[in-house]
Amino acid sequence: MNGRAYILLLAASVTCAPASAQQRIVDGAGRAVELPTRVERVYAAGPPASMLVFAIAPDKLLGWTRAFRPNEAAFVAPKYGALPELGRLTGRGNTANVEVLLQLKTDLVVDAGSTAETYVSLANRVQQQTGIPYLLLDGRLDAIPASLRTLGRALGEATRGAMLADYVESALKDVKARVAQVKPEDRPRVYYGRGPAGLQTGLAGSINVELLDYLGARNVAAEGRGGLAQVSLEQVLAWDPQVILTTDPNFYAAVWKDARWQGVAAIRSKRVHLAPHLPFGWFDFPPGVNRVLGLYWAGLLLYPQAFPADLRARVAEFHRLFYHQAPTEAQLDALLGEPGVLPR
Amino acid sequence: MLKARDLAYGFPGRTVGSGVDFELAAGEVLCLLGPNGGGKTTLLRTLLGLLPSKGGSIFLQEKPLDEASRQDIARTVGYVPQAHAGVFAYSVENMVLMGRTAHMSLFAAPSARDREAAAQAIDTLGIAPLAGRAFTEISGGERQLALIARALAQEARVLVMDEPTSSLDFGNQVRVLGHVRKLAAQGIAVLMSSHQPDHALQYADRALLLGEGKALALGAPREVITPESLRHLYGVNVRIVETADGAHTCLPDHALRQ
Amino acid sequence: MSRGTAAYLGALAALAALTALAFAAGRFPVSIVDLLGAFGSKVFGFAYALPENAETVIFRVRGPRVLAALVVGAALAAAGTAYQGMFRNPLVSPDLLGVSTGAALGAVLGIFLSRDVWTIQVFAFAGGLAAVALVYWIGSSVPRHDPLLSLVLTGIVIGTLLGSGIALLKYLADPYNQLPAITYWLLGSLAAVNPADLGAVSLLALAGLLPMLLLRWRMNLLALPDDEARALGVNTTRLRAAVIAAATLMTAAAVAVSGIIGWIGLLVPHAARLLVGPDFGRLLPLAMLLGAAFLLAVDTLCRTVAPIEVPPGVLTAMLGTPFFLWLFAASRRGW
Repeated sequence: MNGRAYILLLAASVTCAPASAQQRIVDGAGRAVELPTRVERVYAAGPPASMLVFAIAPDKLLGWTRAFRPNEAAFVAPKYGALPELGRLTGRGNTANVEVLLQLKTDLVVDAGSTAETYVSLANRVQQQTGIPYLLLDGRLDAIPASLRTLGRALGEATRGAMLADYVESALKDVKARVAQVKPEDRPRVYYGRGPAGLQTGLAGSINVELLDYLGARNVAAEGRGGLAQVSLEQVLAWDPQVILTTDPNFYAAVWKDARWQGVAAIRSKRVHLAPHLPFGWFDFPPGVNRVLGLYWAGLLLYPQAFPADLRARVAEFHRLFYHQAPTEAQLDALLGEPGVLPR
Repeated sequence: MLKARDLAYGFPGRTVGSGVDFELAAGEVLCLLGPNGGGKTTLLRTLLGLLPSKGGSIFLQEKPLDEASRQDIARTVGYVPQAHAGVFAYSVENMVLMGRTAHMSLFAAPSARDREAAAQAIDTLGIAPLAGRAFTEISGGERQLALIARALAQEARVLVMDEPTSSLDFGNQVRVLGHVRKLAAQGIAVLMSSHQPDHALQYADRALLLGEGKALALGAPREVITPESLRHLYGVNVRIVETADGAHTCLPDHALRQ
Repeated sequence: MSRGTAAYLGALAALAALTALAFAAGRFPVSIVDLLGAFGSKVFGFAYALPENAETVIFRVRGPRVLAALVVGAALAAAGTAYQGMFRNPLVSPDLLGVSTGAALGAVLGIFLSRDVWTIQVFAFAGGLAAVALVYWIGSSVPRHDPLLSLVLTGIVIGTLLGSGIALLKYLADPYNQLPAITYWLLGSLAAVNPADLGAVSLLALAGLLPMLLLRWRMNLLALPDDEARALGVNTTRLRAAVIAAATLMTAAAVAVSGIIGWIGLLVPHAARLLVGPDFGRLLPLAMLLGAAFLLAVDTLCRTVAPIEVPPGVLTAMLGTPFFLWLFAASRRGW
């Protein structure tokens, strides 16, 4: 080889062989992101992303956005429960310090949720500012299998990602099939009450009631489209829902004693239920893969004839797959036996 | 009616004046003269019991002032401040009616008797046509008369007036001072502060000169108001001129001679 | 008929009409016949069969809400009137000394700690009282010539401090769950009023309104400079303290139950003053009537125009401002 060719080859080998190999991933917002083939240190920007990363590669997760409370930490292995609290980077309100990302030598930032322009620009800004690749995944229920596959590839755990994606896909298909069997007239009117007085609800199309929309439920508040809204008790009485779902334990405790609610159909037939919340809430928030269990729970409460009554096996399987720890019998009892979770 | 003995007055931490000694009798007009910042207002506030004295004593109708309650004082002494505009448009009648507070119990509304007293006071000052007008809309002189009417509605036997003619035009000044003399003739004791030596010379029975933190002189105006005392007080040169019928007036030295 | 009497009769008539309308209107359909039957059966004792849930709606949901709107509206208007007179400034609102901000901090803290509704309201009430107590204590301890100025400045400073506390709690709150609840509370609403709330707020508002009504003639003298008022025989320090205490009690109770509803304490006293002048003897009762009517009108709209609730603070501003501008243009007197 003559000298010139040798120099060209040397130059080519230097420029074409960086310190680590790169891969190119197209994320849920259509962004093409360059990231190392070997990713070891991952920062999840919000709870939905935390759950996805934790499910696929728990040892690569740097920390949680909010530290676990003791009763929540009991559902994951101690070493995972003790991971540090790093704050949120996106969604409503930042509490994470971008410098902390650099200090922790983060390889990859993962976020799951809305892929609207605002969040795309935020992802691009953080990526430019820190030089750390930022994956933005679609957080909608339907898009979770695709997100799992993408993330699995990014983290070098393609097989695991695909396996979890298949699980979610088959669960979603199963739920859709069961719902299809339920005739429209057998679908009860349902009201989702949030907040301490139970007077906040989700309108049609809001992420808060995504599960209800998925289950084809008759959300009484679907008169309007939008996000969260406050309603008056009179309006709820006028809607007269047959089933009430809530995420607020104070409201659940108070509604049985409040004389004003006694006339509502759901109270009379004792179909008021409190969503389980350990280690992550099953219904509404956080809006992540944890809601797959919520589908079976809400489905059972709304359409008992079409959904399996015993959730224990499914809960145990989900926890094993996504939280890496099968719950003990006592934990299952606590989770499913909390007052209001299941019909008495 | 009102007596001060070796009175020292001032603010916490600062004594403005001392050694004030006088007695004010019913039907008498005593004019307080002194330069700006000389402590006239502070002295008046102390005599009204609004400021604690720094020494000496004050007697109201032979009783020590510091033993009297706010309400007792208000039933005897009427304070007439300089006329101000005020923020809210109370009617003149309402303003005068406020003078009746000293005679009303804590939760009471004005009674018919109160309204009558107020109406009488308004009549006495000759401002009956103004009764329904807003206090903020009448002229400075009319406001001053309304404030005097308020003090009368209090059924006060002593009036303490703080420069009642400042910011009034000449006509209003003459009118207000005329009313003051009429009230004195009805037996009310008047203590009035002023900038103008002429007011003391022409309307007061006695004058008290305040300067350099003490009472420089007390007595009949034409005796204590002399070119020397005025030079001491104000630092300017004047002549006191007596008219053929016994009135006196004060002329600056460099007044033009036509 | 004097202007004052005409204004009073007008306000009373408007109030009666609005109350009747408020009982008849709502998202839950109740016919006029049923409404009259329900009331008749309570008053005269005859039996009347109501459709399902109608009795709950009329007496336990709509009724308390209508009455609470009257009480809160009257309380806020009275407090605003008192403060505008006392601080000699027509631009003053009942929150001058920080009662609303203190109540907001209490409520936000309650939501942050995931408490039930009653506890949140108690926190709000306590927060409002504590804020004003703090402002009054600091404002009175600072040696100044003008007691009003020191109160106002202390109120601004403490209010800002409390506001930063609220901002911090909003920042730390769980954005999925607590933050929306905080936001809704701060926007104000009478949607959650139950009979117990109505009882509590009425009692506390009355405890503040009664002394104020009794002292209203004396309160006129607070418009005068301090020296003059004292020379007329009024203990201004004690009277001011009494007025502040009464206004704070009313406003803290109102805010605890309804959240922050602005503009009533600022606009209604003006409107009343333009109608009958600044004499508290006539001004205070009229301001209470107008405040009650105004908030009732606004709240009835808030709960009937759409399935979802409109925050009352939005409507009080949108409706109140043009009405006030008209009144201001049509009147010839000053403040």
